This record gives sequence, C-alpha cells and structure tokens, in this order.
Amino acid sequence: MAANPTALEIRDLSHWFGDFRVLNHINLRIAAGQIVALVGPSGCGKSTLLKAILGTQPPSEGSVLVDGQEILAPSRRVGIVFQHYSLFDFLTAEANVAFGPKLDETSVAFRTFQFPQWRKLRKQHMQEAREFLERVKLAEACGKYPTELSGGMRQRVAIAQALILKPKILLLDEPFGALDEATRERLQMMLLGFYQENLLATKEGRTPEYTIVIVTHELNEAIYVANRVIGLSRFHDDGDQGAMVVYDRPCPIFHPDDPKDLADFVEQREELRRAVFDPSYIKHHSKYVSFWQDLEAAEAAVGPIES
Amino acid sequence: MPVTPFRWFITASGSYAMIRQPIPAWLFWSLAVSGIVVAIAIYAGMSVYQTRINPTQSVIPGLKGFAEGFDLITKPRGNDKNPKPSWLVTDSKVTFSRLFIGMGLGTIAAIVLGIAMGAYTGVEAFFSPIISFMAKIPPTGMLVIYMVAFGTNFKMFIALIGFGIFFTMVQSIYQSVKKDVASDHIDKAYTLGASEFEVVLEVIWKQILPRVIDNIRLHIGPALVFLIAAEMLFASEGFGYTIRQSQRFSNMNVVYIYLGILGTVGLLLDYGLMRFRRWLCPWFGE
Repeated sequence: MAANPTALEIRDLSHWFGDFRVLNHINLRIAAGQIVALVGPSGCGKSTLLKAILGTQPPSEGSVLVDGQEILAPSRRVGIVFQHYSLFDFLTAEANVAFGPKLDETSVAFRTFQFPQWRKLRKQHMQEAREFLERVKLAEACGKYPTELSGGMRQRVAIAQALILKPKILLLDEPFGALDEATRERLQMMLLGFYQENLLATKEGRTPEYTIVIVTHELNEAIYVANRVIGLSRFHDDGDQGAMVVYDRPCPIFHPDDPKDLADFVEQREELRRAVFDPSYIKHHSKYVSFWQDLEAAEAAVGPIES
Repeated sequence: MPVTPFRWFITASGSYAMIRQPIPAWLFWSLAVSGIVVAIAIYAGMSVYQTRINPTQSVIPGLKGFAEGFDLITKPRGNDKNPKPSWLVTDSKVTFSRLFIGMGLGTIAAIVLGIAMGAYTGVEAFFSPIISFMAKIPPTGMLVIYMVAFGTNFKMFIALIGFGIFFTMVQSIYQSVKKDVASDHIDKAYTLGASEFEVVLEVIWKQILPRVIDNIRLHIGPALVFLIAAEMLFASEGFGYTIRQSQRFSNMNVVYIYLGILGTVGLLLDYGLMRFRRWLCPWFGE
C-alpha cells in the first residue's frame, strides 16, 4: 500500500509524567488501509501513545497528524473502541450507532427548533445505523440495549458506532481482551474482512476505508489480524529514556476463509517476543524497524504490493 | 433437641428463609396484605381497649370517630353569602403548592449545580466545601434565617423546602456524574463529533437521569418533614397548621386522617416517579 496516502503520522513524539519519561522520540507513518497491531509489555506507554493519537492527552513533545492535520483534542477524525465497549447505556444498539451522525450532522438548536426536518434526518440515520449493524452481522440486535447484549455483540456495536463516521483512523484498545475465544475469533475474522475490502478499494483506485491501529497483548492475534506489527518497549539500548519503537515489520496476510494455523506465526512471534518483551535483549533494535524498507525492497523485486 | 417456634418456622419455610432467596408471588402479596391487616388489627384492638376504659376518649378513635373527622374536614365552611372551601381543599391547595414549587425549584438548581460540579473540576473545587458544610446543617434549624430573609409568607416555605433538599441533592447528583459517567464515554462522544454542550446534554444528563428521578423520590419524605414542621410553627393554613390546631382541640381523628392523606400522597408520588423512571429509562432496569 505504498501508493495510499498517509493516514497517521507521529513526529518525534515524547511524553513525560513528572520526571518519568514514558515515550522517547516516537516516529511513525501509517498509510491508509493498513491494519497495524501495537504490542508491548505492560506499562510501556501503549495507552499513552493511543491517548496522544486520540487527542485526550497531548504529548509533551512532538506532534500527531491525522490526514495531515495536527491532533490537539478528540475529534471525529479518530475513532475509538475501548476494551469495555463504552456503549451508551441509555441508547439501543441502532441508536448507539446513529449517535455519531446525530452529533456530527446536527446541532442542539436544529434538533429543537427544526424538529420536522430533524425527524426526517433521524430516520435516515437510523437506516444507516441498521445497515452498519448488518455489516457487523448484528441486524437482529437493533432494538436492544447494551445490557441486553453479550460482550461480543457489544463490541461489534462499538465497532459499527465508530465506523459509521468513517474516521481517518480507528483505534482499537485491547478490543477483544474481555471476550471468550470463539467470540474473539469471530471478531478477528471481521477485521480480516475489513482488510479484504481495503485491498479491493486499492485495486479499484479508491482510498481504503479502514485504517486501524489495534492494541493487543496477544501476539498470535497481532500477527493474524494485522498486516504490520509495531512493538513498543523500554528494552533497548536507550531504554532509560523511555519506550521506543523497537519492532516494525510486515506480517503475512490472511483471508477470513483461510484456516488459522498457529504454526504459521511461530517464527515471527518468537522474533517479536525477543525484540519487544525480552528484558535481556538490550541492543539496538534498528534491524527490526524495517517495515517501509521491507515494503520497498519487496516492491523493487516484484512490483507494487497490495499489502 | 426441643422444637422451638423459631426452629419450626425455619424448617417449615425451607429455602424461603434464606438470605436473598426469592419467594413466590402469592406468598409475597399474602405477607404484604398481612402486614397491613396486622397493623389495622393492632390499632383496632388499642381503640376498643381505650374506649372501654374511657368511652369519650378521642386519642385512638374508632370508625365512628373517623367518620366524624372526615365530615369535619370535607364540609364547606362559611355561609351562603360568603362560602369558603372545606379545610381539606384549602389545606391541600396551600400545602401541595408549597411542596411542588419548593421541590421543583430546589431540584432544578441542584441538577444544574450538581452537573457543573461533576463535569468541571474548577466548579467542584469552588462549591464542594460549602455544599458539604451546608448539607450537614438541619434545614429546620435554618428556619429562623429563612423567616428573617423572607418573612413568614409563601416564599419562606419555598425557601425552606428548596434549600432543604438542594444541598443533599447537589451532592448526590454530582457524585452520580463522577461515578456513573465514565471518562471513556465522554472521550467517545467527542470522537463522534459532540460539542461540549452536547456532551452535557446528550451524555451526562441522559446517563444520570434515572439517578435524578430516584433522588427526587428520596427527597419527597424530607421535604414533607420540613414543610409540615414549618407549617406547624408559622402557617395560618395548610396540613401542618390544621394538624397542630386539631391536636390542641384533641381532634385526633382529623390528625390521623391528615397523616394518612400525607402518607398516601407521598406514596403515590413515589410510585408515580418510579413508574415514570421505568418508562423513561427502560435501560436502567428495576
């Protein structure tokens, strides 16, 4: 996807909590259509980086640009799905999904003083929300409240809620952490399906719709659902100065219909474990930060790659 | 081991006597009705006993006494030229207008300040100490201040009820905003395009609405206490005034009827608000 425009750019980002430096000179570029897994040991600053991208905690130094515009506060350009769903309890599934268009396209004044027009627009929003719920295979849950849904269903509603506004980048903060294995796999398939839609969009010359950063603790999941894995860690030769990107490499691409064979992941998982999670591996990690070089090399060998 | 009544009851009731075990609906309603029947029976017994000792007693009136009391409070007063409504109509108008206006104003003010304190740390820092302090002062103790400030007219009763519920209600609402509205919800609302005002109106307010309704329910009792106490001391009409006057003239039949009406109105308001909350916020559960 070298041809796709940059969706997210992080420039020289560092962050301190008091005297404690959490993140140290993070530089990243993520192209539209990439599904990126962000992994790292607990406390390495993944959440801090995510909050900087979301705009709820601006970095001490450096900047985050989404679609070329600097992020200074939360906005509709960046969508988020939290581990514990964070659906609005007082709205049904379809109203939760339609909440974004309501807030984005109308004002309180419009909804109050132009009620007939608002009702008409509301019907369109609800219809659109139902279509998004169908896309995440939840058509039957439209009228239910979050408390009436299972964890997996809530998470799919949360994904539909974020996607309906077509954010430039979607952040998934350990989205499947609280789910059982079967549900987790179904949602992983859903992400692979999104990636296939991205490939199709690139082939047709359109900008891919889904650019996703997924934070996960599960290394197999990271390699399975993403086409790029980024490791954040303090276990490097300048670790006292905070976590850096110590791993950034492409991953194999899977199709939702492919059988999932964990043996396919073994080599990269071990490489990832050593580079990101092994406190004894205190070396310069530049050989693992090679996503864009790997991509260029591959393209030079076989022509443009849709990955 | 001898079978004591307690042991027999535990054995006979089986699992129903266990903590938090549900009981069948028929048993629930039978026990509920039994409670009322037992209370009435105890009253009737005491009334009969007292009447035997003193046939002219009016402290624990019987059915005849209640009928006379009911006549007394529902009979129109005045004369043909200058008709006046009955005690019950006059007192109801006065007492319940004081109650509803006082509670309404107190609730609106508490909602506005409670949400502001829960949402903005600066507002919380400014108001929190004074609200915490004021909430500890018994509202009836503040009566003298309201009397000095507003006189003994309508405004004083409104101030007593309004301020009486305001401070504790602000605390509850502000705690609800802090605990029931997760930061993730607020962040998410911003990512969905909400303005600051919309976060307050569409997220915070809707999330705490059932708590606000429950708060109003909880404050009906205290508001009635403040009002009746103030009416007994300062009013020239209203439930509190009539109860006090009736007690002075030993019209305990009127006192009991008025207390019954107050209890019934409080119960109906509470039940009505509970149904309203269930209808408005079905997601909140029971």
